[in-house]
Amino acid sequence: MATKTVLGDDPFGDGEAPAEKPADKAAAKAEKAEKAEKAAPKKTAKPKKAAKADATTSAPEPVPEPEPESAEPEPAPTPVAASASAAAPAPEPEPLPPPPPPSARRAVTSDDHEYGPSIDRPEAARHSGLLDDVRDLERTVKDRLRGDGSEPRGEHGGERQHLPLEFVWKRWRQIAMRDRSDVVDEFGRDPTVAARFEPLLDFLYSRYFRVSTRGMGHIPDTGRALIVSNHSGTLPYDGAMIMHAVRREHSARRDVRPLVEDFVFHFPYLGTLMNRIGGVRACPENAERLLQSDQLVAVFPEGIKGIGKLFGERYRLQRFGRGGFVKLALSCDAPIIPTAVVGAEEIHPMLSKITWLTKSIGVPYIPVTPTFPALGPLGLIPLPTKWFIAFGEPLYFNTEYGPEGASDRILVNKLAEQVRTRIQEMLDELLKERKSVLFG
Amino acid sequence: MATSPKQRTPKKTKALATRPPVDPEQRVVAVTGAYSYIGAELCKRLERDRRYYKVLAIDVRKPTFPLGKTQYHRVDLTNPTADDELATIFAREGVDTVVHAAYLSAPTHASAWAHELESIGTMHVLNATAECRVPKLVVWSQTVVYGAHPANPNFLTEEHELRGDKARARFVRDKVEAERQVRRFRKENAETCVTVLRTAPTLGPTIRNFTTRFFARPVAPILMGFDPLMQLVHERDVTDAFVLAVDGTFPGEFNIVGDGVLPYTTILAMMGKVPIPMPHFIAYPISQALWATQIFDSPPNFLDFLRFLCVADGAKAKRVMGWKPRYDIKATIADFLGVRDSQHEPAAPRAAATGGV
Repeated sequence: MATKTVLGDDPFGDGEAPAEKPADKAAAKAEKAEKAEKAAPKKTAKPKKAAKADATTSAPEPVPEPEPESAEPEPAPTPVAASASAAAPAPEPEPLPPPPPPSARRAVTSDDHEYGPSIDRPEAARHSGLLDDVRDLERTVKDRLRGDGSEPRGEHGGERQHLPLEFVWKRWRQIAMRDRSDVVDEFGRDPTVAARFEPLLDFLYSRYFRVSTRGMGHIPDTGRALIVSNHSGTLPYDGAMIMHAVRREHSARRDVRPLVEDFVFHFPYLGTLMNRIGGVRACPENAERLLQSDQLVAVFPEGIKGIGKLFGERYRLQRFGRGGFVKLALSCDAPIIPTAVVGAEEIHPMLSKITWLTKSIGVPYIPVTPTFPALGPLGLIPLPTKWFIAFGEPLYFNTEYGPEGASDRILVNKLAEQVRTRIQEMLDELLKERKSVLFG
Repeated sequence: MATSPKQRTPKKTKALATRPPVDPEQRVVAVTGAYSYIGAELCKRLERDRRYYKVLAIDVRKPTFPLGKTQYHRVDLTNPTADDELATIFAREGVDTVVHAAYLSAPTHASAWAHELESIGTMHVLNATAECRVPKLVVWSQTVVYGAHPANPNFLTEEHELRGDKARARFVRDKVEAERQVRRFRKENAETCVTVLRTAPTLGPTIRNFTTRFFARPVAPILMGFDPLMQLVHERDVTDAFVLAVDGTFPGEFNIVGDGVLPYTTILAMMGKVPIPMPHFIAYPISQALWATQIFDSPPNFLDFLRFLCVADGAKAKRVMGWKPRYDIKATIADFLGVRDSQHEPAAPRAAATGGV
């Protein structure tokens, strides 16, 4: 799934790029000549300024920095050269051969300096006179103070400023990128973050909730499918466990994308975390896009009503929304896999819920469990119940009704009710077999 | 040559007939906002294309690139009679395509003026286009018009309603207003092919806009706990899209967005910025104060874009226009930074010599 989005491998590798090369090189040469011309007066002026700069730095450089572009020979076509030529516009149907004028705003020299093609000298540099001299001096002093002088700052129009010290910048980026990857899939699943949470999910799955699954064979090895499950547990642990179960136990190790309620995304941290490990905000557009790209999608049609059930109502399925998932399955031609999760209802036995003023902080309710507000954050630790997840036989409605059935509201409601009944049966079956909440 | 508005009136219905006697296949394009990045790049590209007979660069400042077949016309769109001036020019030169790119690329404190330019300026351009029955109109817009909203789907399609004006950010609201006018125009003038290109935040080595300014600073705010996915587009891909839109006939709105998305904090990490985390309920008042005192150039409502999703789906532009971004999000960032390879490591010979640290 994540492998689908291979980004940045060879962004410049368009077949059309080399065609423009000769023109580009000519432009580059013209540009170079112009630069050398401009550089000349600057160099002669430098010793005087260097003397002044001595006052501020203990180790002045005796020789002015050679302009990198005049010192280096023209390199062989490298990836950068390709990038510079990819910079040129795509060939028009009737292209005109003459190269772009040398005074074009962009200097496409591949050997400009280490930061690749850059903006050319600002207009002001062409003026002569005292003001220019003062500016030049200012620039030199700044360069010296910075210490490395690897990058002539004056070459930049001002937008490309980095942290002053190159190596610090580089190191900082390494540190900053350490716990994240530079490619996420289109819904924001970050493989590095997901891998970091893998051990935690694994611990919850095999040690804490001791999940046992059945009917894993009902999930297809390839192609789209909609996993429809009951929802419970105050916090959406069940989505994470279904996701982890399929990744761990299924023969094809498929990734499941659970659709997560809106309110989770209003929360700081929680929404971001769910998104990075694979959760997707529940809305028809997202679900459709996922199914169209042949992924496994887990939906919880009960929604907030499901996870907000009181302890007394446990394992009694709520209304299945407005049947949006059936519409989705019909229009995307996806089978529905009814799924029952047992054990999640008891992790946070909710005795009551506070709905007073909770809308203003963006939460649907505040749960009251035997532990939660009483023990503070400790109350957020779920009870270690024993879980069962059963995947039922796929229900495929499209052979009978076809995609146009999605617009028949009565049919959609009827089918939604049919799925709900099936899941309730599966739940009852599992509950009958279960002997103990904590030990299964 | 110079026709007064009164003389123009009989001509306007046969605007195309008054075109100079050249190859009838050749076209005349008028570009408003020709001094801006998009306007200037488009003019330069059309200048090199033989199929275009003439390019009219319309702006209040003369473009800096060498004018070959490009003609500069000074029209101030905030002028109450700008529509008449434009109509005169369009009719006289036999314009067959109008590109309207005279929008601000960064928010300004002069909000009244910005409103005049973006909303009223669009009205003027539309009036002139309607009067001269110009067959084609290309309008620049931005994906910020969708607005950052917690209930946005991950990929906003062109049909999604424009909620950007709900955020009370003047910069976005004027653009939404302009788009609504264009939509109305399209209904009333069915014979004109109207293309709206909504560009994602644009980065690149030469463009200057709010995004480049934001990412040019060494520090950037992050709202604690919020890390929306973002998308970027490269400046050259934007130019390509405009050239395509001028070349072909693609009625409708198109999202012009680069491939790939990245979380905001990852973009900052790639760019080596120092993040300043702050809770959102503190960040908004601070931002408000900085904006009100004109210390900072970002209106407080822009924080929404650091908090919620505003990512558009570029599939339609690829499918219908055949536009293909050459830079994905990583390559765009790399090119903005001027980093040599796509691995986001500056290929610095100096650093390599000292062991790379």
